[in-house]
Amino acid sequence: MSLEIQPQASPAVEPVADSIAVEVVSPPFRPGLAGWVARGVVMAAVAAVVFLVPTVRGNVEVHIYTQAVIYAIIGLSLNVLLGYTGQISLGHQAFVGIGAFTSAYMVTVQGQPFLAAIGMAMVVGGIQALVLGAVSLRITGLYFALVTLAYGTMAEESLFNIQKLTGGSAGQPAPKPMWFTTDLRYYYLCLAFLTAVVWVDWRLMKTKGGRALAAVRENPRVAATFGTDVKVYTLMAFVVAGVFAGLGGALLAHNDTFVVRDLFNFQLALVFVIMTVVGGLRNRTGVVIGSAFFSLVGYFFDKLFSGGLHVPGIKVLPKEYAPIVIGPMLLLFTLTRHPGGMGQRIRPIQRWLRGGRFSSRDTHDDPTSSGGERVSDVRA
Amino acid sequence: MSVLEVEGCSIRFGGVQAARNVSLRAGEWEIVGVIGPNGAGKTTTFNIITGFYRPDSGRVRFKGRDITKLEVHERTALGMGRTFQNVGLVKSATVRENLLTAQHLEAGYSALAGMVGLPGTFAAERRLRARADALAGILGLGDLLDTRVAGLPYGVLKRVELGAVLATDPDLLLLDEPTSGMGPEEAHTFGATLLELRREFDLTVVMIEHHVPLVAQVCDYVYCLNFGELLAEGTPDAVRSNPEVIRAYLGQEAEEVLQESAPS
Ligand SMILES: Nc1ncnc2c1ncn2[C@@H]1O[C@H](COP(=O)(O)OP(=O)(O)OP(=O)(O)O)[C@@H](O)[C@H]1O
Ligand SMILES: [Mg+2]
Repeated sequence: MSLEIQPQASPAVEPVADSIAVEVVSPPFRPGLAGWVARGVVMAAVAAVVFLVPTVRGNVEVHIYTQAVIYAIIGLSLNVLLGYTGQISLGHQAFVGIGAFTSAYMVTVQGQPFLAAIGMAMVVGGIQALVLGAVSLRITGLYFALVTLAYGTMAEESLFNIQKLTGGSAGQPAPKPMWFTTDLRYYYLCLAFLTAVVWVDWRLMKTKGGRALAAVRENPRVAATFGTDVKVYTLMAFVVAGVFAGLGGALLAHNDTFVVRDLFNFQLALVFVIMTVVGGLRNRTGVVIGSAFFSLVGYFFDKLFSGGLHVPGIKVLPKEYAPIVIGPMLLLFTLTRHPGGMGQRIRPIQRWLRGGRFSSRDTHDDPTSSGGERVSDVRA
Repeated sequence: MSVLEVEGCSIRFGGVQAARNVSLRAGEWEIVGVIGPNGAGKTTTFNIITGFYRPDSGRVRFKGRDITKLEVHERTALGMGRTFQNVGLVKSATVRENLLTAQHLEAGYSALAGMVGLPGTFAAERRLRARADALAGILGLGDLLDTRVAGLPYGVLKRVELGAVLATDPDLLLLDEPTSGMGPEEAHTFGATLLELRREFDLTVVMIEHHVPLVAQVCDYVYCLNFGELLAEGTPDAVRSNPEVIRAYLGQEAEEVLQESAPS
C-alpha cells in the first residue's frame, strides 16, 4: 500500500481551490553582470576580513578573533536549545566549562592527543545535555530555566572544584595542538571547526530532524501525529547543543592555553543567552554575528576608550563589563522592537548576495513573521 | 479483516464519563461515519484510537494487533493518519514544509545521517520534495506551496492538513469534522474527493461528520454517540431514521416535535 503519486493521475479529484486568490508571480529577478560583480566584491571583502585581516594583526588581537569564532560555536549551540526547542539554558557556562576542563585534563593530565581530547569534551558535553534534556521532558518554561540556572551554579561550586580536573584555583594548562601552536594557525583551526558546526546546523535544519524539531516546538501533538517521537527528538536537540558547547569549551581552553574556573561564572551564561537572542534565534548568520559581536565588544570598547569609559562619578568601566552593559540594552531593544535580532537586518543582504533584490520584504521568509513573533517563546 | 476495532473503551475525566464502553469497527476500504451531538465523545474516541488518551478500560486493535499501549507516533508508523478538529499543522511553516514534515517516517534516512549531511540524504530530500509537490498538486494546493500556513483561509487549511496526513502514507484515515466551515455544496464536493482519495491511496476512513447528506453519500456504516455512549449503529439510512438518534441530535426541541406529531 505504498503511496506512489503520479501527478497526472488526478482527474477526478477536482481541486476545490477556485476560491483561493492566486498571487500574480512576476518573473524572478536576475541581476546583471554589474550586479554579480558587485556581489562578488562584497563576498570577497567579507572573506578577506575573515581570512586575511588576522594575518596582519598582532597575536593578542588574533587571540581575540579566535575567541569570537569560538563564541559563534557556542551561540549556535545555544540556538539549538533556545531557537529550535524553545528551552532556555541559563547554565550554559557550565556546559562550556566542562568541555574546557575535560579537554585540558585529557591533554595535560592524561597526555592524550588534541583530537581525542576534543572528542571527549564533545561526548561529555553531549552526556550532560542528555541528562538536562531528560529533565526538560518533565519541566518546561520558567522552572526549567531555574533548573539550568541551579545546574550552572552548582557545577561552579562542585565540579569545577575537583582539583584533578580543573587544577583548582590555579587552573589547568591546555596547550595548543601540534601544527597549530601559533595564534594565527589556531584561529584557522577554529574557523574550520565553526564551518563544521555551521554545516551540521544547516543540514539539521534542511532535513527531517530540523523539521521534526520545528513541529515539536510549535505543536507536539501534530508532531507526534506526523510520526515524530517527541521525546527522542527533544533529547536529540539537547545532545546536539551539548556537543557543540563541549566543542566550544574545548577550543576556548586551548585558545587561552590555560583554563581557570573563575571564567565560567553566571555572567558568562548571561552573555551567551544575550548574544544568541540579539543575534537572532533560528538565524544561523545572525547568531554567528551576534556571538562574535559580543565576544569582541569588550576588546574594542577597551581600545576606543583606552582602558575604560570615564564617566563622571563612576571612575572607570572596565572592559569586562562592556557586554553586560551593552547586552541588556540590546536585549531589551531586540525583544521589544526588533524581534528577529541582528539576523533580521542581515536577511536582505543575504538575499541580495544570493542574487535576489535588496529588500527586507518577503512573502514567506520574513523573519518578522517567523523568528519574530516567536521570540516570545523564550520568555520562559 | 477489520482494520480498526475499538473494543469497549471507557475513559473518565474527573466527573465526566467522556466515553463509556464504546465499541466500533471499520473494515478494509470502508468509510465509517461517527456522528453525535456536541460533547458526545467523538473526538475523545479519536484520541483513544490515536493514542493521545489511554482508555481506563477496553482495547484498540489496528490491523489485528493490540495497540492500546502504543504511543501516538508508533501508531502513525503502523499506518494511522488523523486530522484534528481545529487543524493540526505547523502554522509558522509553509505548505511545502508541512508536507515535508509529515513525511517524517518516509524519509528513508536517520536524523543523524541528515545532520552530518551524508550524500544519500540530498537525493532523499529531493525525492521527498517531489512527493510533497505531487501531493499538493493532487489536492489543488500547487500554487500555495511556498505560502505560510498561518495566513490561509480555514477551508484551505483543512485541505493542507488532509494533504499532510496523506503524506504520512496512512492505511487508516481518521477525519475529525473535515467539512466544518464548509457549505453543503462544498461538503458534497468533498465527498467526491474522499471517494477518489480512498481509491487512489487504498484507504479505510473513519470520519466524524455533521453534514448528514455527506454521511449518507459516502459512509458504509455509521455510529452515533451520545453522552459518551454508543446510541445507535447501522447503515446511514437506518441511523438517520432512528428516533433515539433524532432525539439526541435535536435535543429537547425534537422531543417536543416528536411528541406533537405523534398520533394520540
Ligand atoms: N482532556 C480532557 N479533560 C477533561 N475533559 C475532557 C477532555 N477531553 C474531553 N473531555 C470532555 O469529554 C466530553 C466529550 O468531549 P469530545 O471532545 O469528545 O466531544 P465531541 O463529541 O468531539 O464534541 P464536538 O462535536 O463539540 O467536537 C466533553 O464533555 C469534554 O469536556
Ligand atoms: Mg470533537
